[in-house]
Amino acid sequence: MNKQFDRYSSLFFAILGLGFVYESQFISKSSYGSNVGPDIFPLGLGLVLCILSLRLFYETFGYKQEKKAGTSFDVKRFSGILAVFVLYALTLEALGYVISTFLFLFIAFQLMERGNLGKTAMVAGIFSGGVYYVFVNVLEGSLPGFPEWLIG
Amino acid sequence: MGTLHFLADGFSIALQWHNLVFAFLGVLIGTAVGVLPGIGPISGVALLIPVTATLTSGLGPEAAATSAIILLAGVYYGAMYGGSTTSILLNTPGESSSVVTTLDGYQMARQGRAGAALSIAAIGSFIAGIVALIALVFLAEPLSKLALQFGPAEYFSLMILGLCAVSGLAGKSMTKSLIMTVLGLLLATIGMDTVSGVARFTYNIPILYGGLEFLTLAVGLFALSEVFKNILEPNQDGELAKIERILPTKKDLKDSAAPIARGSILGFFIGILPGAGAIVASFFSYILEKKISKNPEKFGTGAIEGVAAPESANNAASGGAMIPLLTLGIPSTGTTAVLMGAFIMYNVQPGPMLFTEHPQIAWGVIASMFVGNMMLLILNLPLVRIFVKIIETPRKFLLPMILAISVFGVYAVQATTFDLILLIACGIAGYFLAKNDFPLAPIVLGLVLGPMIENNLRRALTASNGDYLVFLQKPISLLFLSLALLWIIVPLLLKLRGKNVLVNDES
Repeated sequence: MNKQFDRYSSLFFAILGLGFVYESQFISKSSYGSNVGPDIFPLGLGLVLCILSLRLFYETFGYKQEKKAGTSFDVKRFSGILAVFVLYALTLEALGYVISTFLFLFIAFQLMERGNLGKTAMVAGIFSGGVYYVFVNVLEGSLPGFPEWLIG
Repeated sequence: MGTLHFLADGFSIALQWHNLVFAFLGVLIGTAVGVLPGIGPISGVALLIPVTATLTSGLGPEAAATSAIILLAGVYYGAMYGGSTTSILLNTPGESSSVVTTLDGYQMARQGRAGAALSIAAIGSFIAGIVALIALVFLAEPLSKLALQFGPAEYFSLMILGLCAVSGLAGKSMTKSLIMTVLGLLLATIGMDTVSGVARFTYNIPILYGGLEFLTLAVGLFALSEVFKNILEPNQDGELAKIERILPTKKDLKDSAAPIARGSILGFFIGILPGAGAIVASFFSYILEKKISKNPEKFGTGAIEGVAAPESANNAASGGAMIPLLTLGIPSTGTTAVLMGAFIMYNVQPGPMLFTEHPQIAWGVIASMFVGNMMLLILNLPLVRIFVKIIETPRKFLLPMILAISVFGVYAVQATTFDLILLIACGIAGYFLAKNDFPLAPIVLGLVLGPMIENNLRRALTASNGDYLVFLQKPISLLFLSLALLWIIVPLLLKLRGKNVLVNDES
């Protein structure tokens, strides 16, 4: 068990619980004349969350110090893919589905393993074009198409 | 009309050609999901909800729901079949309920008996699936009739029991799983309150009025976090064992008949229990076989009983887990919680009313599970060599594609960039939470059950004029609450006495 992570997360959940308790003060206390309003459930849960977080914080004192496990983390590759992934999510509507998906997959394939440009481009192209064609033309769903400046 | 009549109606729905295609697609994808290490049944089902939503868009609302659930249920039990393949051939379980199968399955493969292990796993899974279904058919009516007599207080307590049971057994720390449950319940309160129409925790952000989308959270927490884990912590794959002959010998069949029967029955009853899912079932059945065996020392060295019993048990358990979902509307595992989310997306409320309001959905799905199990037997016996090829899919293509599929799935249903950002945030949060032993299944469970628990709580309290004692005055409700309390206290006591508690770590 990771002592530090659990301490910080218990603090985080305690603050979250307090936040819910505080904010539920502003929710209406009754509905349709009943004295049981929409505030009771989040109020009670917020309190329970606070108590559980305190309990977790208390438990962290009993943790034995653990040696770090020998797993290696590929932080570099992960942060690269995550950055491209966030960009993909943000540009999906602007660039359209096919272009943004193709770019994301192509760059992510290259980040996973460099080289073989032709094959990765082909897989990315088949995936993005194929999904778009099947979804929009065959199943008549809707996805962002091509950007206007491209079609003219 | 009797149960058999309803079942016959169900078959007439399940055997419609498009439902046969859906069942086939479901079990096919499910087997692939089970075979691929890193994608479990939960993320498989979550990823496919939006895809099925588009596939079924041409059908009427009720037919669409039936077909979609047929496909998703197929993914669920298909994954249970497929999970054994990598356990046996690679010593890597494809999903966590096949962990025990590695003990004897991989040893058998090393002795050149991979084919026999695979076929016994498939046959055992098939028999167990059928046993669980027959029990489901006969328990469905009486159980849902019983549940119809429950008032809001009883329902509230039953759902609390469900939550406590799952939290008590999930993950290494009960405090952490309870925190995750409460977090799920709290996240469910965001948005418009269904009873009074009051907006809660929305801060005038229009997109929050509809609440956080269940699908986005489920795909992010399960599918994305698993992909992130695979990118961050790459593990070396072992060597794939070869398959020589597929059919088991007569001796193999004779040796595994009794373990399959015991595994099926044990697995089914464990599956019905809330909280105890396929993993617990497979562990228990393995331990049971070892206990009653005349020569227990051969377990771990390639005993066919050690493959037959746990593989039957995990399939029977996944069939058993459908019972509380369909009859009471209470999911007992992470995967059934995701399935329940899918039901709700189609405006179908699982529970006692399901069998009277939507008999064609309930019985259609049950009948299709018979058909799907037949298909799985065919897929997993003669065609197992083809499935083994899936294991060789290069990870460099697979992982980015799963990311792209999750974006496609969420965007196709939600069509907002907000949900994509929420998806990524959930993926990152899910990775760190799971890495630090915070189980993820309770969040989804809380999220799905939250609105129902709150409604029943408020209805019960309104009827009793705000008197909280109402939950203790009704005998059935009191029984459920006491059971819930026991479920939390007993593992704590066992831990205090230094005993190891078996946990159901589904994610």
